[in-house]
Amino acid sequence: MGLDIIVGIKWVPNTTSVNIDEKTGTLIRTGVPSIINPHDMDALELALKMKDRYGGTVTVITMAPPHAKMGLEHAIGMGADKAILISDKVFAGADTLATSYTLAKTIEKIGRYDLIVMGQETIDSSTAHIGAQLASWLNIPYVYYVIEAEYLRSSHKLKVKRLMEDAYEIYEVNLPALISAAMHSQHPRRVSLKNKLRTKLENPIEWWSNGVLKLNPNCIGLKGSPTIVKKIEFMPKVERKREICPEKDPVKAAEWLVRKLMDEGLLKL
Amino acid sequence: MSGICPEWEKIDPSEYKGIWVYMQVERDGIHEASLQMLSIARMLAEKKKTHVAGVLIGYNVKKYAKEPIYHGADEVYVVDDKRLEQYYAKVYAHVLVELAKRYKPEAILVGATMKGREFAPYVANSLRTGITADCTSFDVDPNTGDIVQIRPPFGAWMLAHIKTPNRRPVMSTARPNVFNVPPRDEKRKGKVIIEKIDELPDPGIKLIKRIPIERKEEIPIEKAEILVSGGKGLGSKEGFKILEELAKEIGGTISGSRKAVDAGWIPHEKQVGQTGKTVKPSIYFAIGISGAAQHIFGIREAKRVVCINIDPDAPIFENADYGIIGDYKKVVPALVEVIRKLRKRAT
Ligand SMILES: Cc1cc2nc3c(=O)[nH]c(=O)nc-3n(C[C@H](O)[C@H](O)[C@H](O)COP(=O)(O)OP(=O)(O)OC[C@H]3O[C@@H](n4cnc5c(N)ncnc54)[C@H](O)[C@@H]3O)c2cc1C
Ligand SMILES: Nc1ncnc2c1ncn2[C@@H]1O[C@H](COP(=O)(O)O)[C@@H](O)[C@H]1O
Repeated sequence: MGLDIIVGIKWVPNTTSVNIDEKTGTLIRTGVPSIINPHDMDALELALKMKDRYGGTVTVITMAPPHAKMGLEHAIGMGADKAILISDKVFAGADTLATSYTLAKTIEKIGRYDLIVMGQETIDSSTAHIGAQLASWLNIPYVYYVIEAEYLRSSHKLKVKRLMEDAYEIYEVNLPALISAAMHSQHPRRVSLKNKLRTKLENPIEWWSNGVLKLNPNCIGLKGSPTIVKKIEFMPKVERKREICPEKDPVKAAEWLVRKLMDEGLLKL
Repeated sequence: MSGICPEWEKIDPSEYKGIWVYMQVERDGIHEASLQMLSIARMLAEKKKTHVAGVLIGYNVKKYAKEPIYHGADEVYVVDDKRLEQYYAKVYAHVLVELAKRYKPEAILVGATMKGREFAPYVANSLRTGITADCTSFDVDPNTGDIVQIRPPFGAWMLAHIKTPNRRPVMSTARPNVFNVPPRDEKRKGKVIIEKIDELPDPGIKLIKRIPIERKEEIPIEKAEILVSGGKGLGSKEGFKILEELAKEIGGTISGSRKAVDAGWIPHEKQVGQTGKTVKPSIYFAIGISGAAQHIFGIREAKRVVCINIDPDAPIFENADYGIIGDYKKVVPALVEVIRKLRKRAT
């Protein structure tokens, strides 16, 4: 028997192509394509690698608007077996507590699993909350920042290596458990044609609305969210002197700069 | 359906008092990121006319109990227990949850270190309260008295003001190095409260081995007085050799942009910016760095920003105090030369 793995991914606007409208001071989001959160690709790759090595299944879940189906198709194309799109208007406006609750209930409904793999954080909200909150709802062990994972079949445990600021740490983890993959720790594989065909032929993507999950509306979406965004404002600019050196010659320019810094007492000889 | 989620216990926010700061203990004492939180806690406590408490969890941590008081706490809760010798997120979270249930703090602040970010959301979830990540400032709403948590969502252009009006405690993690450690004053007095937790949960994980990473005796970039920072514009790893010459001459430390990190020219822990570190040197040299919002985000606290860039239209010039338009391959060696000459003349 192999490992049944669930991977959580988020469908996010590609923030590298979000720009500011200098005149109105708003974010230009129109036409900005969404992508799978890049750090979740590390999670997916880690899970697929384990499936390759130990057998089992990979199921990808995301709570998102309907167009996130594209992301799930991509995940199937990379080799995931199945995907669930958790999508319903009543889930909208969820903070991390409500999101993690919805994901936890989804996973309980899936039922059997050995391991949940998450990304380290998302590029749009970058909270890194969901993993720990999900582990809390499900009351399972969890470890963040994992770079390698090995399945110890005889004891049905996981051996993971993680990278902290000042050390590598190796843990043995009882299953079922949740791990988050350290960002940039994997080299995500490409979509294969064979796997991609499966999305067309086998319908591996299910859509679960709240008609399926039947969650109490007070626990999900905006209503189930204790935090409220009161206001979004522009980040105030730090006032800088903005003095540009008038000299073209590098040595003269260097002298100009050194004098400025010495006059302020910032550079000492 | 009206009412609240049945997963949530009903609470009365008015029963919750005091601002707590979780004190992360490492081998050499309390983590600086935790002590920094005390300056926010003090500010919030003054505005709300309440007290500040530190929370120490671990084994042999009692000896640090006075530290948070010297740095501004009014009281310190200590859970010192052999079973807490090793940090496990789930177990430490349980201890903090139990204390919070006993004493009902209005807010809990946690430094957004790697461990802080791992363990704080578990605490918040167990208490069925909201949590706001990586805050960069805080305030109190003068009308409602609510704590306002301010953080950059979505790139580094915007700031969101977030409140947790109906649940307690309000929980936040805050970005290291944005706030200063309040000055240490050994004359400050405060109460040390020793607590016990009878039952601890099984973490379900076990540390087998810890392999410390040998780092050269370098100053971490968040502590450096002078940073010489390079970006994609250096063109290659060799470019950093030129920057090192300058760094050596003026006692600076090397750092860089994300593109320099992604190119493999410098390690990740030297990245400045939104997904890197917040730095606060007295001089920040941005060399071959365009000045993207996410990068500028990390140097807001720098006293002076100097930039050297070949493109006069690069946004970094808008965000610098002193700018030199030119090729760094010429300007940086010239800088080294000029400083050496002046030094010779001075002696
Ligand atoms: C979610 C998110 C988080 C991010 N977080 C960070 C972060 O934490 N930190 C960060 O830095 N970035 C971050 N980024 C990336 C950021 O948007 C920019 O892509 C990045 O900062 C650009 O790096 P750079 O300035 O080195 O490179 P470029 O933008 O390519 O700029 C290179 C500069 O070098 C100049 N140049 C070229 N040749 C020379 C020469 N010979 N002499 C002098 N100048 C020269 C060019 O004129 C140009 O201005 C993030 C992006 C996203 C989407
Ligand atoms: N809406 C979502 N659906 C599924 N998984 C998610 C969702 N949001 C976040 N995650 C997972 O949780 C991780 C941390 O996200 P965040 O707390 O938003 O930084 C991500 O890397 C994903 O693996």
